[in-house]
Amino acid sequence: MIKRTLGSLAVLTAVSFALIGCGDGGSKTADGAGAPAGGGNGKDLDVVSFSGGYGLDFFEKAAKEYQEKHPGVNIAVTGGPRSWEQLRPKFANGTPPGLTWPGWSMDYWALIYDNQVLPLDDALKTPAYDGKGTWGDTFEPTLLKLGQYQGKQYELPYHYNVLGWWYDPGVFAKHGWTVPKTFNELLVLSAKIKAAGMAPITYQGKYPAYMVQGFLFPWAASVGGIKVLDDAQSLKPGAWKDPAFLKAAQMIKQLADAGYFEDGANGLDHTESQMEFLQGKAAMIPCGTWLFSEMSKTMPAGAKMAYMLPPVADGGKGDPSAVQIGIEPWIVPTKGANHELAIDFFKYMTSLDKAKQFVEEKGTLMAIKGSDQAKLPEHLKEPARLFRESKTVYAIEYDQWYAKFGDEVKNAMTSLLNGSKTPEQFVQTCEDEAEKVRKDKSKPIHEMTR
Amino acid sequence: MFKWSGLSQNKKFVGFDNFKDLFHDNVFWMALLHNAEIFAIGGSIILILGLGVAHAMQGNGRFTRALRSVYLFPNIMSLVVVAVLWQFLYNPRMGLFNAVADLFGKQKHRLDILGTPGTALPGVIITFVWFAAGFYIMLFSAGIRQIPEEVVEASKLDGAEGFVRFKKITLPLLWSVGRIALVYLVINTLNVFALVFLMTTGGPDRKTEVMLTYLYEQAFVNSDYGAATALAVANFVIVMAVSGLILKLTKNDPTGATR
Repeated sequence: MIKRTLGSLAVLTAVSFALIGCGDGGSKTADGAGAPAGGGNGKDLDVVSFSGGYGLDFFEKAAKEYQEKHPGVNIAVTGGPRSWEQLRPKFANGTPPGLTWPGWSMDYWALIYDNQVLPLDDALKTPAYDGKGTWGDTFEPTLLKLGQYQGKQYELPYHYNVLGWWYDPGVFAKHGWTVPKTFNELLVLSAKIKAAGMAPITYQGKYPAYMVQGFLFPWAASVGGIKVLDDAQSLKPGAWKDPAFLKAAQMIKQLADAGYFEDGANGLDHTESQMEFLQGKAAMIPCGTWLFSEMSKTMPAGAKMAYMLPPVADGGKGDPSAVQIGIEPWIVPTKGANHELAIDFFKYMTSLDKAKQFVEEKGTLMAIKGSDQAKLPEHLKEPARLFRESKTVYAIEYDQWYAKFGDEVKNAMTSLLNGSKTPEQFVQTCEDEAEKVRKDKSKPIHEMTR
Repeated sequence: MFKWSGLSQNKKFVGFDNFKDLFHDNVFWMALLHNAEIFAIGGSIILILGLGVAHAMQGNGRFTRALRSVYLFPNIMSLVVVAVLWQFLYNPRMGLFNAVADLFGKQKHRLDILGTPGTALPGVIITFVWFAAGFYIMLFSAGIRQIPEEVVEASKLDGAEGFVRFKKITLPLLWSVGRIALVYLVINTLNVFALVFLMTTGGPDRKTEVMLTYLYEQAFVNSDYGAATALAVANFVIVMAVSGLILKLTKNDPTGATR
């Protein structure tokens, strides 16, 4: 009986594999032609957006406004918190939406390598929505650059995040603490915080990307200068075990050994650790400017949050004003319908008025020049100022270019924090994994330029 | 057989390269080892628990009746609920285990079961056992009920009581049920996914990575559907091979009832 069942299962599975292998996903040709490649009736636009803390309502409202200005146009806005999962089969099938913000877990670069994303260089040369200059001129150039590949503009930034650390100014004022500017000041302050019965720093242990962004990269840049990060992200041989990365790893280890990280933080997810911070159990936490919108609904009464740059390494070569940012890109899929309409609608969404509205309604910063002149919420004033005044703006891109390598660096970070890897082993692991990517000829190597 | 991102119809034929890469991939072997640990440790506990509880449930006392009404409860809960529930229990800041540990005096460090390399996999195994044991108790319980009453009575007349009767009568007569249980265990432990994914996503630093969480990562995070498919095929072959081996090794029923 069991034999017969296993036999039937084997046959069924073999047939399933064969069917999967034979399936063409609905495409008529090898490159998926047969789907509307920029065609369409010029009137219907399908927009799929990630729906996280900012929801879909702003885009729905913008669609309604655009329809009123352009009679006959129909724009359908849909999305969800895991929009990338909805989009994968659509892209594979050759039926993607006309315009999309796929969300943070979409592999944008795989889409670009597969020619699934429309280059927008020509569109950026067209007049801006309000007619002043070109559309391209309206974007912050450092943010626009992040969406380029081989000289072409594939991704367009919409809102962006500034990454750094957060503290509660009320708690700091109550104890007479001042925000530490340097690592040595951090050590002195942490001793005082610990003596007051609070954890100096907590972090989102289950998601080590936060610690790579919040500790490793800022400190490596601070110790060795921004070129160290650029070389590491460009996978230059030896860059991941540069003395600056080793020193940054040693600084992390020093804090862990001194007991300045919250006990048990390795087992906390993002909302748990952020709640620990807001409940006053920890004094500081690394995070991006999305922190407020993510936690606003559950924020304890009286809790406040203010942004601070990660304390710089004493005697480091790096620019102390360096600011880390990340963009949330939108794309126009090559096989989506009605390219012109998609571009024009996105142009409307990125007009200065709409950008300012987004800043005020959603409490985030926008990639459109001048949008920070909107009425900024309190928690955004400092990151906006720092972004404006910084001489060095950088983004972490390597984990989007090389996802598996990104996983390995994050995993190694977990091991560094829980003590199962020394700083030396940590940087060696990162370098070994970088070497694997260099040897893998199936994906292009990106060059980080400034 | 293809290099494919899963995001277009662009596929590149690469022959058996995906399988070669899989064979040389340390993460795959580490994941397979974790599956094997879940099978060996979790499976052994489940079999012992299943047999023991099923045997204990044959009576008609109050405790037995109470046990009968609850033993399957974890198994009928959604796996998502089970994972979330146990995550709360394990939580280093507010979990029950930490609260219990605190009863014995203030701990120097919080118990961080899922965040500590040495305890993360045992933590997942305990949850797996809690969730899955009910099904095997039911399986063995049904098997015990199939044992003819006259055989039990005869053994009693021969003076076989307690553990002796369990060893000499119950266990041999459960041979065919045991084979089914073992095959189910192989399938369940080598295909474990949701529990691990929801509780640890394979972390910390891959210390709880299993084959299917790695498959998910390769397909949906790394956009390497070729590698993911090779892993799926390997998983299928391993499940079939281990199941076949178990059936072969357990072919000879000591009672002569199974062929």
